[in-house]
Amino acid sequence: MRQHRKAALSFLAPFLIVFIAFYLAPVLYAVYLSFFVRKRAGIGPAKEVFGGLENYLRAVQDGDFLNGLKNMFLFGAGQIPVMLGLAIILALLLDQSRGLFMKVCRTSFFMPYGIPTAIGALVWGYLYSANLSPFNQILGALHWGRIDFLSAGMVLFSIANIVTWTWTGYNMITLFAALQGIPQELYEAARVDGATRWDIVRAIKIPLLMPTLKLLFIFSVIGTSQLFTEAFVLRPLGYVADNITPNLYLYLTAARDANYSYAGALAILLALLIFVISGPFLRRISSR
Amino acid sequence: MKQTSATVASVAAPKVAAPGLRDEVPESPVSGVLRTLVLAVFLLYCLLPAMWIIAAMTKDNGQLFSTFGLWFASPLHLFENIVGLVTYQDGIFLRWFGNSLIYAGSITLGSTMICAMGGYAFSKYDFPAKQFLFNFILGTIMVPSTALVLPLFLMLNKVGLVNTMWGVILPSLVNPFGLYLMKTFWDSGLPTELIESSRLEGASEWQIFWRIGMPLMQTGLVTVALLCFVGAWNNFFLPLIVLNQDTLYPLTLGLNVWNSVSSNAGGKPLYNLIALGSLISVLPLLIAFIVLGKYWRGGLTAGATKG
Repeated sequence: MRQHRKAALSFLAPFLIVFIAFYLAPVLYAVYLSFFVRKRAGIGPAKEVFGGLENYLRAVQDGDFLNGLKNMFLFGAGQIPVMLGLAIILALLLDQSRGLFMKVCRTSFFMPYGIPTAIGALVWGYLYSANLSPFNQILGALHWGRIDFLSAGMVLFSIANIVTWTWTGYNMITLFAALQGIPQELYEAARVDGATRWDIVRAIKIPLLMPTLKLLFIFSVIGTSQLFTEAFVLRPLGYVADNITPNLYLYLTAARDANYSYAGALAILLALLIFVISGPFLRRISSR
Repeated sequence: MKQTSATVASVAAPKVAAPGLRDEVPESPVSGVLRTLVLAVFLLYCLLPAMWIIAAMTKDNGQLFSTFGLWFASPLHLFENIVGLVTYQDGIFLRWFGNSLIYAGSITLGSTMICAMGGYAFSKYDFPAKQFLFNFILGTIMVPSTALVLPLFLMLNKVGLVNTMWGVILPSLVNPFGLYLMKTFWDSGLPTELIESSRLEGASEWQIFWRIGMPLMQTGLVTVALLCFVGAWNNFFLPLIVLNQDTLYPLTLGLNVWNSVSSNAGGKPLYNLIALGSLISVLPLLIAFIVLGKYWRGGLTAGATKG
């Protein structure tokens, strides 16, 4: 094998070059930046000076950042179980179906995954917006008042709905594929034992879905931590707080306030948090 | 929400069964009706935004606000909207469409190739720290995009790549999940014995990769290319940060700028054009899904184990 090291390196080189230049270097640069703070001395322009862990100390006491994290946890605790629960139910139902209707369902459920998030969020934004919303048109026609989907209290739920719409089908298709992979012999054995449909679901299908489900769960957690586009797109249409998700707050800290060093510290804290939560899962998966 | 499509490869599917029911246990008519009902309700939910878009693209802005959103209104304005879309701001929409094609096309080609080569190295060679490097690369999926893109902007600024197409294309070539997927395809799709025997016949490592390996990788390459294309076509955050000149925007960014303009006080409302533009912007993906559906399903069900 030794004589092939050179060949191995030449195959690997293109990936490593772009990975180091456009992935690793920016992350290391963010780490580096995060140790600097902007200081104003006298009346001159602010200067970046080494501040040690100052940015990190500020971050853990930053009400806006903590609020974003709180929303992130609430979102994860509420939206992920609903989405994965729906995905399991739909996958089990599709596994029981056949024919054209089943094929139409399978394709249509999966379709939102292919729609750009920025476009999907835009269209949902119009379905929510005060003047365009068909839901409010229906409620109005029934004289049932109206719902302001983009109000401060509702907007997190409205975003959760967009995410659910986008990703349930994707999760469902993945679970469905796992169901289709269950060996026929298991069902035959269960039938011999006189199992009912519900027995089969409970004792065969659900347990065999667990590995796939764990994986989907952890990718949903990572996705939740990166929530940005939906909130960003809805901003012009309604009331979306600057600190609604950590990523939006981070973006505004850098792009609007041009405070890249503080944004760097926030990003690193966020990445570490996700790493602590999902690292053990991911390690198990990659060593499989 | 950005979610990596990692689950595609990890689905354990030793054998794809013939379509149809396999756990034949009699079902009561009631539960059959209930099942269809649940599926139908979710089907409506999935198609709801599509219904709004299709209705909205046939209306003018006045009708959008005054008529029921989920149904058509007369007179139809589809033709005017098409003309409006391709002529507004000197036809910048067509430019955005072209830009999206350039971005997605070049990223798909480049990234798939890079992943195919890298995956081959991880699958077929041994080198020091291989497992560590692989896990490390895979672990970076957890880094939030903001942590990456914001410092990336500062770096691109220094080398003059901000506000250029390269500033969007080059960083998008990195695709850790594509690498993982390609490795699993190589693991199962190209037997080591075939490599060994080719070596004995005097083939060089590159010849083995190109002449023997790549032709066996069609399913894997199309699956990874499809994932790359979806990711690149949907790209929003990177262009948002790197570009500020609207002639370089991809569709996703352009339509959102129109939305911001429309929602500003005193801005010209462009909602009808945005609706039509949204529909057009998802067409390439729908076509890719339908034409390449076979590969797509192949990747979902059998990718990890069969290649």
